[in-house]
Amino acid sequence: MSEVSPATAGQDVAARHSVTPVRTLPRWLRRVLAFLLVLALLALAWEGLKWLAGDPWRPESNPFGISHTPPFRAKIASDLNLPHLWDVVEAFGQPSRRNGPPLSAVLLEAALFTFREAIAGFLLGGLLGFLLGTLFAHVTLLERGCMPYVVASQTVPILAIAPMVVIWLKAGWISVAVIAAYLTFFPVAINTLRGLRSPDPMALELMHSYAASRSEILWKLRVPAALPYIFTALKISATASVVGAIIGELPSGIRGGLGGAILNFNSFYISGPQRLWAAIIASAAVGIAFYLLVTVAERLVLRSRPLAVEEGV
Amino acid sequence: MTVQAPIVSFAGVNKIFNPGSAKETVALRDINLAIEAGSFVSVIGPSGCGKSTLLRLVGDLIQPTAGEVQVKGKPARQARLNQDYGIVFQAPVLFEWRSILKNIQLPMELRGTTPAERDKRARELLGLVELTGFERHYPWQLSGGMQQRASIARALAIQPELLLMDEPFGALDEMTRERMNMELHNIWRQTGTTVLFVTHSIPEAVFLSTRILVMSARPGEIMHVVEVNLPVPRGEHTRAEAAYFEVEREVREWLRRAQGYSS
Repeated sequence: MSEVSPATAGQDVAARHSVTPVRTLPRWLRRVLAFLLVLALLALAWEGLKWLAGDPWRPESNPFGISHTPPFRAKIASDLNLPHLWDVVEAFGQPSRRNGPPLSAVLLEAALFTFREAIAGFLLGGLLGFLLGTLFAHVTLLERGCMPYVVASQTVPILAIAPMVVIWLKAGWISVAVIAAYLTFFPVAINTLRGLRSPDPMALELMHSYAASRSEILWKLRVPAALPYIFTALKISATASVVGAIIGELPSGIRGGLGGAILNFNSFYISGPQRLWAAIIASAAVGIAFYLLVTVAERLVLRSRPLAVEEGV
Repeated sequence: MTVQAPIVSFAGVNKIFNPGSAKETVALRDINLAIEAGSFVSVIGPSGCGKSTLLRLVGDLIQPTAGEVQVKGKPARQARLNQDYGIVFQAPVLFEWRSILKNIQLPMELRGTTPAERDKRARELLGLVELTGFERHYPWQLSGGMQQRASIARALAIQPELLLMDEPFGALDEMTRERMNMELHNIWRQTGTTVLFVTHSIPEAVFLSTRILVMSARPGEIMHVVEVNLPVPRGEHTRAEAAYFEVEREVREWLRRAQGYSS
């Protein structure tokens, strides 16, 4: 302590004083604040671009009553390509078709529909991935033989696979779930394999010294050790399953989900670009919600682990 | 000396790693050995001399290339299947997802002991290794020395007649190590367990053992056996006794020879 000069000690105190108020905010609140800050910055950049190079701002069509002629013109910032954020927000409250329910209700229903398909695909893919990973971890020959095909399966675009699945399984939520599962099993399989192989050789010797059976080693050592790896994969799979479900709806001709909504609003883009943007926001919200759900599950399951507290959302 | 079947015996044991390949290594050569029940036997030798290999052979974690290892009069494999020994490694190897209490219960779980019995026994053991109050803690919340104590408790959970210890205190600082030596000595006295103890610390070996096996550098052979006749119980006073220094000097002398043996 004597080596610390008074000058640095003073800085230290000053630093602590300025930092303490922020540090004492609850962790979740800091997260929310950071999220809102980034959201505000994004919105600012969006509208800033429109201010610089968008279509002229008419006072009756913006909430601030501003009249403004941007100094430059860029196609990307036109009202058709990049609608004003307030127009997108407003679109949620307006009916998407004449005398219909407001867009928010339509999108909420579509989002729940797609969410259900995504969950089915997530569970199916997660289970398949776990089984494959476990099988590969125990039978090296199988891993050597099958892994190239598993990897190859992921290089085939989902857009090519999706119509095929619909032809095999008939259009319906089952084929959508299978398409979503196609995107989700891979990360789970890879990370399960990695996680099951993660235990220290000494831990395996220890189990060996107890004459533990293969299944005891699996359930009491390998699987618990693999859980952090598996949860990382599940977080990737959660968002991927939403993408898979949306894409799966397209060739299936399912109209009730977000895929149908996107397709629909895409074909009427000229008459209302903000509706497609609203659908994009809804899709992102479903993905984020699913991701958060898995994160909460991870927190619960891994709550006693040393690093669980430190990792971010 | 009473005539008694040894708890561990080696008969003409050789261990060759990667036999027939370019990386062939003769780890142990012609090991003949008998360990009496209730004794505390340390194995000491230059690094890479096969000390740990010897221990792993007893535990049937590896198998001899030639010869036979017996534990309690049975082949080592059978003894392992019967959970006849407890083992402590250099690292504590506690499972991070289990509380200290649950970690200690692991071997009993695998043996099918009832939950009530497991709980009772694990709490007794925590008392024995002076970790009472840490039942619900997780391994990462404990210091290195405390973790190693928990791992000793786990090894004792099934009340083994044989305890295998592979440099258990090698990663601890000198002060903690001396305290752990004292505790291990007391545990050995209280439980009457036979201990086979691998170490590279001369003071540790002398303080704890009734016999010390000095091994030569690779290929590992038992060069010399030092009988340690220091009175039991031992304590701080032991380290100041003339006999203690005499044994220490003898072990050091043989270790020096062991090092020069092959070079």
